[in-house]
Amino acid sequence: MTGRFGNKTAWLILLLLTAATVAIVFVPVWLIQPFAAQSARQVEISYIFKSWSPVLTILFAIAALALAVFIAKNAKRWYRALPLVVPLLIIAVFTWFARQNHFEWMFAPLESAKFARVAETDFVKDDEMVLAVRVNGEAVAYPVLQMAYHHVVADVVGGMPITATY
Amino acid sequence: MWQSVVNGQTLKFHLAGINNQNFIMRDEETGSWWQQITGEAIQGKYRGQKLENVPMDEVTFAVFKRENPDGRVLRPDPKIAAENKYETADWEKEVAKMPVRIDGKLDDALEPRALVVGIIAGGKAKAYPVSALEKQNPIIDTVGGKEIVVILGADRKSVRAFEREADGRELEFFVKPDTGEITDAETASVWDFSGTAVGGPLKGKELKKIAVLKDYWFDWKTYHPDTQLYTLGSR
Repeated sequence: MTGRFGNKTAWLILLLLTAATVAIVFVPVWLIQPFAAQSARQVEISYIFKSWSPVLTILFAIAALALAVFIAKNAKRWYRALPLVVPLLIIAVFTWFARQNHFEWMFAPLESAKFARVAETDFVKDDEMVLAVRVNGEAVAYPVLQMAYHHVVADVVGGMPITATY
Repeated sequence: MWQSVVNGQTLKFHLAGINNQNFIMRDEETGSWWQQITGEAIQGKYRGQKLENVPMDEVTFAVFKRENPDGRVLRPDPKIAAENKYETADWEKEVAKMPVRIDGKLDDALEPRALVVGIIAGGKAKAYPVSALEKQNPIIDTVGGKEIVVILGADRKSVRAFEREADGRELEFFVKPDTGEITDAETASVWDFSGTAVGGPLKGKELKKIAVLKDYWFDWKTYHPDTQLYTLGSR
């Protein structure tokens, strides 16, 4: 059906798709990393890439799979198709990563916050710092030790939904 | 500390990135990105929108307990605690070794990672180095046309700020070095750390609290570029 030219073109597109998949996922990871300086433009680029990467990686993966099938079908020997595993694996890993929040790997979110009454609290020392709020007569303390890990805790205090951050 | 409701919708926030060493939160509902320290959306549907601030105190647990005997306290997640991931001492030491890089010029008035107490009064931001407060307590000042006082608690850790006006008059406060008692010079009334007069002619009066934020100097300066910086004896 096709000659060598077709296969070469397919390989070229496959490699370009691989590079594009890696780039769209890796660029925001690189730009908004800790301890680096970020310009407003870099934050914007990260946001755009982050927003589009879940959809685009799937589309690239489907296209890559189709190309791989095409190349494999045209392979004269079965083992000639083996190198296809490399780009496909890279695309699979980055497509998966586009759906992850790696910041929450490092700092696991608190899914359901649990609380103790002041009188029964034995897990905070008197000289430990807490973030304290009082809304409509209800007071809540968020120990800094925990907040410095979770960073974000959702709560309802005095009937008001709040987000404690640190 | 922010109200979670925007346009009638309760948003659920997640840690989602770092912008000049302050973290970005992403809301599940719209995917917008919000800057933690300012509560402002910087990307997405809500770009430009600000979350409503919830007044917060950073105090020792002893102070919280005394003032809120009926309060509640966030429990540690047993799984995280079992992995010792809350033990931040070493982590913070590591962080302190990292150079401070931000988009823009670092202000050289103070060491970038020096701790400051940031306040906003009358629309003006001002930062008080914790080291200055440790030497001069309380600090009496005027910010954005408001007469204010910044007080370091008896525990030498908790910090609060108030508008120093009660009963229609401006007050000057001092802390007795031996007892740590807070007194005003005008009426000699005695005040507690919550800003309530507990003895003397003004007994029962309350000072209006001003939100304080303990922060690194570079972080406060980055997100409050017009901030003033208090230096000892500058008033």
